[in-house]
Amino acid sequence: MAEEIKTSEKILEKEKHKSEEENKENISLLEDLSSLESYARELFSFSPLPICFASPIGVILEINPAFERLSGFGAYEIIGEPIENFFRKDDVADFSKETLEKGFVKERELHFNTKEKGEILVSAFSQIRKVKEGETIGYFISFFDLTEVKKSEVELKNSQTALLNMLEDVEQARKKSDEERNKTVAIVTNLADGLLVFDTENNLSTTNPLSEKIFDIKGRDVVGRSFRELETFPTMKPLIEILEKNSKKQLFREELNLREDMILEVSSVFMTSEEKRTGTLVVLHNITREKVVEKMKSEFVSLAAHQLRTPLSAIKWTLSMLLDGDLGTLTQDQRSFLEKTYTSNERMITLINDLLDSTRIEEGRYVYRPILSDIKTQVQTVVDNFQEEIKKRGLKIEIKIPNKDLPKVRIDEEKIRLVVENFLDNAIKYSSIGGVLGVVIEKGKNEIKVSVSNLGIGIAEEQKKRVFSKFFRGSNAIKTETEGTGLGLFISKNIIEAHGGQIGFESEEGKQTTFFFTIPIKEEFEEFLKDF
Amino acid sequence: MYQTDESTWILNKEIASELMKTGGQTRGVAFKTDIDYVLKEKGEDGVKTVEKKLAESGLVIKYKDIETMKYYPMGLRAVSLLAIKNSFGFTKQDIRNMGVVAPKISLIIKFFMQYFMSPERTFKEVPKMWKKHHTVGEIEPVKFDEQNKESIVRIKNFKLHPIFCCFLTGYFSTIVKMIERTTQIGVCEETKCPFLGDEYHEYVIRW
Repeated sequence: MAEEIKTSEKILEKEKHKSEEENKENISLLEDLSSLESYARELFSFSPLPICFASPIGVILEINPAFERLSGFGAYEIIGEPIENFFRKDDVADFSKETLEKGFVKERELHFNTKEKGEILVSAFSQIRKVKEGETIGYFISFFDLTEVKKSEVELKNSQTALLNMLEDVEQARKKSDEERNKTVAIVTNLADGLLVFDTENNLSTTNPLSEKIFDIKGRDVVGRSFRELETFPTMKPLIEILEKNSKKQLFREELNLREDMILEVSSVFMTSEEKRTGTLVVLHNITREKVVEKMKSEFVSLAAHQLRTPLSAIKWTLSMLLDGDLGTLTQDQRSFLEKTYTSNERMITLINDLLDSTRIEEGRYVYRPILSDIKTQVQTVVDNFQEEIKKRGLKIEIKIPNKDLPKVRIDEEKIRLVVENFLDNAIKYSSIGGVLGVVIEKGKNEIKVSVSNLGIGIAEEQKKRVFSKFFRGSNAIKTETEGTGLGLFISKNIIEAHGGQIGFESEEGKQTTFFFTIPIKEEFEEFLKDF
Repeated sequence: MYQTDESTWILNKEIASELMKTGGQTRGVAFKTDIDYVLKEKGEDGVKTVEKKLAESGLVIKYKDIETMKYYPMGLRAVSLLAIKNSFGFTKQDIRNMGVVAPKISLIIKFFMQYFMSPERTFKEVPKMWKKHHTVGEIEPVKFDEQNKESIVRIKNFKLHPIFCCFLTGYFSTIVKMIERTTQIGVCEETKCPFLGDEYHEYVIRW
């Protein structure tokens, strides 16, 4: 009995031990389960992507915090609700059906309903969940917000469109630029003048065929070369010398006698873009033919004038003898006719002399004989010579000359008197009746200024630029005085400029005109001589 | 004996002590669902208030230390609900709402998701669900009429506190909603109750 009791006690002890072991195991399993639950919950909560689990009949059974955040609804408002409460019905019906049929959907755009933002577009993925028996117990849906992606897509599309438009514009601009370039190349190539373009460092950047022909060079040999390098080309050296001499000038024009059969007018101008210098444009205009024609004309005029002057001089002396009565007494009528003939002959001689002077000027043969002279005396002499004419015309003359002595200046007295004569002759001819003429001599800092003024017809504004041109006569002057060669002021301008002075005028049509010239006061004789 | 009149649903040391003598156990997940609701509605301070209320009734409990799958005394289930009600002056409707929310966050319910494929099957599995939560009482699925949208369940051999009866009306209505895919929460009414002299609890759910 005692044995039996002991055995029972042993069994009970064993059962108790077994129960305690099982209990321990259960507790351990529970702890593992709790730990697993905590792990699953944390994993589910960690995902930044909204995730939900829906039952096969489409009821949401679980969501993660990201789902709550995106939807704006709380878990209690979501779990247990039909899935179509949160996704657009048509979208999600197909999506769920496909998921249950295929087991997954890789990517599908769905419309997701949110509390705050209303419907937004999301990209969704799904995966069914099965139990070990193979039965589907629901499916996971994970998705991400496409709002920003779509926004970026729209922005990208807009940017792309803008870029394409820009590219189109650029292409059009390029085509236009090409067209312009082709036009420019065509113009440059076919230009009747030679053309050279230098960059800001004075390296030759462009030539045209004519410039290459003028200098007998090839563009490829000279483009990119500096002034110094270009000087080594014998044909180009004279041009480069001119360009170097004037390299600081924004604009200049100069003749270049390249060779006997090639005279160029070289025009150079700085090219600018947005007020910044981009280079220098040099245009070479062939003026050889003009020069030849001009020379021939001058030679003809000179020859004709010389040939005319001899008989005119003979006529003058014959008429003079007749008028002096050397060939017999003249009747009053005869004298009158002969006097008119004499005057006309004198005019003819004057014209011939003016023509000869102008051809000499053009040919550089106008000889100056400068001496130190008192300009006041020269002016006074001319004025005295015109006193009778002034009186005859009913005019008055006022002369203003400084009291103190003026410095002597280096002048060709005869030529300067000619200038004053021209001024005064014009002033008399084109004065109003009873008008007053003015002759003023002033001393400036470095020059002496002589002015002759009148009150009269004046010079029309539009004709002022041509006053010093050869053979020019004002339209109102021609009406007033038919006589006149139109060479006086041309000759005067050349005389004054040869003296290193300046010539000019101020005029108001129908009122008054003042012509003036200046002669520089030069102390050093050597310097003076340089000018002649 | 406890009354169905909610004004009598108070918590003090005597009532807590009495309830803790109730037989049977329940899973910790039930307390987790309680405190999740408090946290959502009242925040962290609300949780502290409830814990303070429990301490006043002689029970020092920290909700965060409760383990989801571990068993706790069945009486504590009613004590927890009473502490919450008394802390915030909750009405029957609030307690019912707690029941509505509970299945949505219950881990046990998630284990039963595999049965949510069809309403009939889920309905049949209800006793298992009860068993997984509690060690006392049995639930009996009596009727499931999908056509007339009505079901009846009974709970036998179980008598805790009327506050838990109220909680279950909310709980069952959500379960039905989850398996029947209705957009409206169903109406669940306790038609029979041991606290009213009946032999068992009977819940009629319509949707």
